[in-house]
Amino acid sequence: MDILVVLEDNRGSLHRMSKEAIVGAQQLGGSISALAIGDNADALASELSGFDLEEVITVKHDLVSSYNADGYAMVVQKVFESESPKTILAGHTYQTRDFMPRVSAKIDAPFIPDIISIDDGLTKQILNAKLNATVSSSNEQMILSFQSAAFSEESIKPGFCSSRSFDVSLDSSQVRAESEDPFQEAAGGVDLESADLIVSIGRGIEKEENISLAFDLAEALGAEVSASRPVVDSGWVEPFRQVGSSGQNVSPKLYFALGISGAIQHVVGMKGSKNIIAINKDPDAPIFEIADYAVVGDVLEIVPKLIEKLQS
Amino acid sequence: MKIAVLVKQVPGSESVLPILNDETWVDESLVSFIMNPPDNFAIEEALLIKEKAGEGEVVIVSMGPDRVKKTIKEGLAKGADRAIHLEEDGQIETDPLSISKSFSTVLKEENFDLIFTGLQSDDTGMGQTGVLLGEMLGYSTATLAMETDVQSDSIRVKRELESGWFQWVKLPMPASISIQSGLNTPRYPSLKGIMGAKRKEIKSIPVSEHRVGSKMQTIEKVFIPQTSKQTEMIEGDADSVATRIVEILKTDLKVL
Amino acid sequence: MIPSVTFTIVEKVILAGLTLAALGSFSYEVLRRVAIVNKGLGSFPFDRFLERLWRVFREVLLHEKVIRERPFPGLMHALVFWGFLVFGLVTIDHFATGFYKPILSESLHHAYSKVVIPFAIFVIFGIVSLAYRRFITQPKALGKISPTSGLVAVFIVVLMGTYIYGETGLSPLVWKVNWWIHSALILAFLFLIPRSKHLHLVLGPFNIFFRSFEHPDHTPVHIDLEGDEDDLDVMLNDLTKLTKKQALDIFSCVECGRCTDVCPANRGGGILDPKYHFIMDLREPLLEGKDVAILDQINVEAGWECTACQACTEVCPVGNHVEKSDEIRRLEVLVEGRVPQEYQKVFTNLQETGNTEGASSSPFADSFPVFTADKEYVLWLGCFARHGLDPNFNKSVENFTKILDVAGVTYGVLAEEQCSGDPANRLGDKLTYTMLREHNMEQLIETKKVVTLCPHCAVNLGKEYGKYDAINYTVEHHTQVIGRLIEEGRIKVKMGETGKVTYHDPCNLSRMLDVVDEPRTAIQAASSDFQEMDESGRDTLCCGAGGALWWKKETKGRTHLVRAEQVIESGADTVVTGCNFCFGMMKQGLGPMTPEGREEVIVKDVADIVAENLV
Repeated sequence: MDILVVLEDNRGSLHRMSKEAIVGAQQLGGSISALAIGDNADALASELSGFDLEEVITVKHDLVSSYNADGYAMVVQKVFESESPKTILAGHTYQTRDFMPRVSAKIDAPFIPDIISIDDGLTKQILNAKLNATVSSSNEQMILSFQSAAFSEESIKPGFCSSRSFDVSLDSSQVRAESEDPFQEAAGGVDLESADLIVSIGRGIEKEENISLAFDLAEALGAEVSASRPVVDSGWVEPFRQVGSSGQNVSPKLYFALGISGAIQHVVGMKGSKNIIAINKDPDAPIFEIADYAVVGDVLEIVPKLIEKLQS
Repeated sequence: MKIAVLVKQVPGSESVLPILNDETWVDESLVSFIMNPPDNFAIEEALLIKEKAGEGEVVIVSMGPDRVKKTIKEGLAKGADRAIHLEEDGQIETDPLSISKSFSTVLKEENFDLIFTGLQSDDTGMGQTGVLLGEMLGYSTATLAMETDVQSDSIRVKRELESGWFQWVKLPMPASISIQSGLNTPRYPSLKGIMGAKRKEIKSIPVSEHRVGSKMQTIEKVFIPQTSKQTEMIEGDADSVATRIVEILKTDLKVL
Repeated sequence: MIPSVTFTIVEKVILAGLTLAALGSFSYEVLRRVAIVNKGLGSFPFDRFLERLWRVFREVLLHEKVIRERPFPGLMHALVFWGFLVFGLVTIDHFATGFYKPILSESLHHAYSKVVIPFAIFVIFGIVSLAYRRFITQPKALGKISPTSGLVAVFIVVLMGTYIYGETGLSPLVWKVNWWIHSALILAFLFLIPRSKHLHLVLGPFNIFFRSFEHPDHTPVHIDLEGDEDDLDVMLNDLTKLTKKQALDIFSCVECGRCTDVCPANRGGGILDPKYHFIMDLREPLLEGKDVAILDQINVEAGWECTACQACTEVCPVGNHVEKSDEIRRLEVLVEGRVPQEYQKVFTNLQETGNTEGASSSPFADSFPVFTADKEYVLWLGCFARHGLDPNFNKSVENFTKILDVAGVTYGVLAEEQCSGDPANRLGDKLTYTMLREHNMEQLIETKKVVTLCPHCAVNLGKEYGKYDAINYTVEHHTQVIGRLIEEGRIKVKMGETGKVTYHDPCNLSRMLDVVDEPRTAIQAASSDFQEMDESGRDTLCCGAGGALWWKKETKGRTHLVRAEQVIESGADTVVTGCNFCFGMMKQGLGPMTPEGREEVIVKDVADIVAENLV
């Protein structure tokens, strides 16, 4: 086996980033197997039956019925020792961050995380994404994780893939964590700085009664709401939503700027955003210089249509 | 209660980052350095635990060249009791496995109850050192702690999961935990703290004495990302614009 | 007319007893407070003695400030005060009559009463108007209803009444009863004065005498990092202690609330109420603890809202240095290590890179000639211009250098200019301030003249630095230089199409540096349609960026919008200002506050309007 992709269970179904990791593996080339751990291992395996993989190895054991770092690290180590893949791969999720370094230390192989591209060597971002770096491993075996959307799950190569179960013996004394059930926190404190998706309101929203449009869009996207200073100053949203030099600094995956001109005091607080969609009536608005997607148009016309389509 | 806090000195977020001629790293002589911002939360959490327990010691541990002493002193000024400095001798360490191995040989005899790290460093951003070290020392590990609750011989940690989910995990001590940013309000060093820091012990140990094997992960090249900021203009009437946006959200950005 | 009345021995004994008791109680309470004041740090100033006396004459005798700030109530108070003065002789004579015999002869008494009676009527009119205002109108600034004030009002009316009544023809018995009522009230007054805000009667003149000539006037904090730890302990402990003047302030406070009225933080909806947070809340701890180490009791949240603009200090009629944000912030920073996160970033940036933004270089600064000894001025840029806190202001700096070039004035920037330290100073980080100050002093060793566009830099370089070490240079604000160049004819300015223009006085420039006229000279050389806005000159309302609040993240209050609103209300098309922070705040604040259909007011610096109209 060349590559072993460790799959992640996203509440019963395969995590999108695991699929993306398989795409990355397919592009790296070689014989690829996947590893599914836990009570839902069979379900995950069957999701991959139509794709071009050697096989899915399933591991089921009481001590890894649900995720825990000790158990998962040991299972991966045992599979590694049995199958000897050159590369272990996964999506760079919180879970991967939690246990993959354990594997790295156990098998003494380097873990190169959060890779954004493999076209020109292994590339990762450094220094707050101000620079990129090409990283290499001098060790035959290595562990890699891919950043979200580094690969597209649409590009997965179809084929046929079987599964087989793999027995592990684990000692309960080695699984030390007692985990409670995961829970969701009531949305009280809005932490914009760690938000993935943000819908941001500028003066182009024109009136206070239009603010709800932005909140509706945010809800449809599962996004947080922020605003530029003038909107906050007018009292239309709470001050903690302010983004800019005298507000919060945000760097979400998506920053949806509605009616924001792009004045420097605002841009300073959001220029770290990975993707910016901007809608503004003014074709010369400075926001368009930093936007990935630009719409010269009326927020009040476009957003309602957008919400409609998202809700359908 | 002995708590180690691994701290890193990294380039400041507004610092220039001139790339060396051989492109292997940035020219550190022109860079301004600060304490890795996530580490502030780790230090604060350790100090809060010590203060609540009414006893114990918090030890700052850092690897780097001589300039790192400044960052170490900041930790001491905030209230840490002493420090261990693994002094680099010119070779910049970037391989997490190698770094962690050096740490583990030095920290083994210290027998810390807890090792805290920030969630990742603002320079290389490998985000592994705390967990690697935990494995090497045989400690239990957890990452992205949004809350800690120390009990007599165990620690409960509220792990942050994606999309607004959380999970409490109870681990026996000793444990190595990475601390998520924002879980507390880091203090500013008082003047007394700053003065007192001068007299606190910083044990300097050359890294070369503890290097185990050679590094396996190398940064071959650093370069400025090609910001092909191709702004895609979306045209058309409100309806077609909205349709195109949904497409982008779904396919290109994958946020739906 | 006094009927022939004699006082029995018993009456004299009673009178003596009561008088002694009243005087004794009065003295005890006053001396008790004086003793506490004496525990304060520092010493009372006696320099510029005649200037101080003159100030007392104008502010106490003429009631200049009291009347100017609130004309009608001020005048009413003046009437009561002047009546009080006139009554001095009356009261002495009154008691002399009881103990022995009258001092004034009958004819003198009669003549004097012709003066006193009208005053008594003025006093009654005055006190009744003031009581009406306090108890019926109930203006917010006066705060909670004060029963002692009511009592005092009644006392005064009855005192005046009994005096006037006593001058009418009365039978001996009625006259004597009236006499005793009058005496009892005076003695009761003596009892009441030191226990209430009416102590200002005694302390006011002294407090005004001792007031500093410039504000802010905070004790410098000397930090020696190489020093002894015991010395440090003493210094840190001293940070909690009031100075003698501060203690005297607290006992002199008249609770009028003028300070709160003019406070920009309060007006913007913040919680800061200078009257209570900086003065009144400290009175009880001072009296109960009998000790001056109470500065740590100032409300911290209120303390962080202050813009350090000194409006409160400027307006206080009894000479209080009201503002104490410096004191509470330095305790929070130096002793407690409790600093809002956004300010921690500012401090770290200042320590690491010598500027508030953490920048490694300034291309803007590099675009100017470097200062060499043959040049006349060091052009001090300041962090705001160097690091583009509002890039539009950079044009104003260039306009100023254009003016200098036209006038043939030579200048250069300092290569190693670091932040003047104003944010660190006003936020209480005296350690970072010391580092910056020491660095800059070294850069300025060869300098004779400094000119800057930033009033905050000017205040620090020109005034604050001097509190620590002797300075060898003079500092001018760029409007002073422009004004002078116009007056000397070294530049010619023509009237331009400026539209209606108004000027917003920066608080650091007008109140702290007393530069009010030169900007106006400059503006009016270029504009024929200049008009003052509300609260201008030394009474200016801070734009909200003072006290390093420019860097404050959570804006709960609308401090920065209040002034913008006033600009819009003035009806001006253009607002000119003389400070980079005011410039930035106006640019941010005018937009949201402009009503629909109106053009947004244009913001300019003095340098802009002059450069645009140079001949």
